[in-house]
Amino acid sequence: MATNEKVDVAIVGAGASGSVFAAVLAKAGKKVAVLEQGPDWQLSDLISSDFWGRRLKTAGAPFLLEGRNPYGYSGQSGWGVGGAALHYFANFPRLLPNDFKIKSEHGRALDWPISYQDLALYYDRVALDIGVSGDAKAEETWRPAGQPYPMPPMKTFRNGQIWLKGFEAVGIRMVPAAVGMNSTDYKGRPACIYDGWCHVGCPTGALANPVVTYLADARKAGAEVRARSTVTRVLTNQQGTRVTGVEYYDEKKERRVQEANVVVLAAWSGQNPRLMLNSATDKHPKGLANSSGLLGKYMMAHFSSGTWAIFDEDVQNYMGTTGAQYMSYDRYGKTSRKGTFGSSFLTAGSALKTNELGGLANARVDLFGPDLAAFMKRAARGLTRIGAFGEEMPNIENRIELASDKDEFGMPLAKIIHSYDQDAAALWNANFEEGLAVAKAAGAKETWSARGNMPTIHLLGGTIMGTGAGDSVTNSYGQTHELPNLYVAGPGIFPTEGASNPTYTIFALSLRGAEQMAANWSTVAS
Amino acid sequence: MENIERRVFLKGAAIGALAFTVGGVEVLLTPRDARSQGVPFRTLNAEQVEALEALGETLVPGARQAGISHFVDQQLSIPAEDALLEARILNVRPPFVNFYRAALGAVDRASQARSNGRRFAVLDESERREFVDAMRQNKINDWQGPAGGFVYVVLRNDAVDVVYGTMEGYAALGIPYMPHIAPTRRW
Repeated sequence: MATNEKVDVAIVGAGASGSVFAAVLAKAGKKVAVLEQGPDWQLSDLISSDFWGRRLKTAGAPFLLEGRNPYGYSGQSGWGVGGAALHYFANFPRLLPNDFKIKSEHGRALDWPISYQDLALYYDRVALDIGVSGDAKAEETWRPAGQPYPMPPMKTFRNGQIWLKGFEAVGIRMVPAAVGMNSTDYKGRPACIYDGWCHVGCPTGALANPVVTYLADARKAGAEVRARSTVTRVLTNQQGTRVTGVEYYDEKKERRVQEANVVVLAAWSGQNPRLMLNSATDKHPKGLANSSGLLGKYMMAHFSSGTWAIFDEDVQNYMGTTGAQYMSYDRYGKTSRKGTFGSSFLTAGSALKTNELGGLANARVDLFGPDLAAFMKRAARGLTRIGAFGEEMPNIENRIELASDKDEFGMPLAKIIHSYDQDAAALWNANFEEGLAVAKAAGAKETWSARGNMPTIHLLGGTIMGTGAGDSVTNSYGQTHELPNLYVAGPGIFPTEGASNPTYTIFALSLRGAEQMAANWSTVAS
Repeated sequence: MENIERRVFLKGAAIGALAFTVGGVEVLLTPRDARSQGVPFRTLNAEQVEALEALGETLVPGARQAGISHFVDQQLSIPAEDALLEARILNVRPPFVNFYRAALGAVDRASQARSNGRRFAVLDESERREFVDAMRQNKINDWQGPAGGFVYVVLRNDAVDVVYGTMEGYAALGIPYMPHIAPTRRW
């Protein structure tokens, strides 16, 4: 087994969180190697086609899916440099102050060990780093004031504007959506041209994916990004007190060791616990940093309640961005829906394509044959949708475990066991009801709820942060309580999920964690 | 990033057609062209092709001519990592051919059990529609294979892909395609 030259930091995963750690630490003068199991995508690979966009999604070892609401990960997964953030929608809502203190304020779920104010500065800094468009002042109805976004809101289109009357009628205030996209040229990257292909990867650089933001910074500062490198274990010293590097398989599928002073697991909320469980030793018999028994526990997903409508006019649904044009936190209070518990985050306006998973044809999955053909003609002109993301509370039964089946490298597969509780189902239903009311008030000719199996969007938890090794896996920086030179990055460290799209918070938390590591390098790395 | 022409950001990077073998030589064709040229199948047998074409046409009119069977067959013959099938993002476990063989076999077995030994491809149009409607709702008794509702979703998406997902499909609906990087050969 070959051993590479030792680096200061080995980062597993080149997605949103890994790219931030790589940029910060490379700029701090550290020798950084980023190991990514998929290919090294270039902007020129991002073809405007739903067929070709599927190449950006998982091709690694499958996860086995169990529970009443199996977690459908593959459509939103990442494969290769940039990770899932290479094809994300770049909706950038923040978490709100009430997300951090659910246990304290409601006596249920979990508290974060930090408050909104601990993160606010990092939200503002990320906005400046990578470019966010929006209207911060308009958001301050719901959150403490911060810095203005560096760019004005994005353009809006009829497929978004047409909903505003309906939201107003039911008492909901919509504001310009905060998005990680350029409404104007920004830092050498061009303004968006609103062609609606964000979900298959933006090749112009207008959308703030890792390849054109933090990962570009990291490479410029000397970080090495090593694609086609599949990490299978985190290695520890004999005493079990520190990690010493990672074992991985290179592009020739040969086993290698990358020694490192610090290891950052930024692979994915599913893959990080899989790796830590597979790295068990006699000193860590339940997996790394798992004396609490909480490694792989408290997995969470978001559910959306989509409302479709056809209007009797051309709403130009091919124009815009895949993400939202408008957003609202007016239903974000944990008890804002009677008889339910959890936040809801509302959006309106998105570009649609014919054959994307959430596109025209799948707006009415029940239709086929001539009925579908007739629907497609109507939908091409007048179809548009709104969405309500709902929050699932952390449940210890929702978890990741190793399975007996193994992948091509001999590493056990993992299974994700996931079920929604009654609160989640009630919130899902309540959001549908209000969506239909909005559509009717907006004057829709036809409207219906996007029901079916309760969806599972994003994957969070599994390596949650907390105050100590008794109640969590990491601290608020992502540093594991038991192995000070092992960090975990990404939404896996969220102890609760809120209802906001998570990537803006992932960037902010990662920036905070990476800077803490750099500032305390001598104690972390020695 | 300067001098970006609208919707023509980068040229020549895409390979839009798929690789089919004609006369022992690999050529790039759209599935529609592959069908019209009678390109041999690589993975599916004749009965599976018949079932897939009949199902595709029932699900989305035009899928047969658009080359659904050549599209799926070619995609099943390449590594899962390179596959462009919707199955890839619907949590179907590779190799995808296992799913398609099981699904198409289940359809024909159920059809034969319900329709006096007749395979799906030989049912008349109304019988096919009735069958598909029952399948999508998991209402076919003694179904043996991947859940009928899931088979419906996956194959319907394949049919949608070849009919509505191409540049021709967009044009037929009057929807501007507006690519940043255009797939070549209108794929």
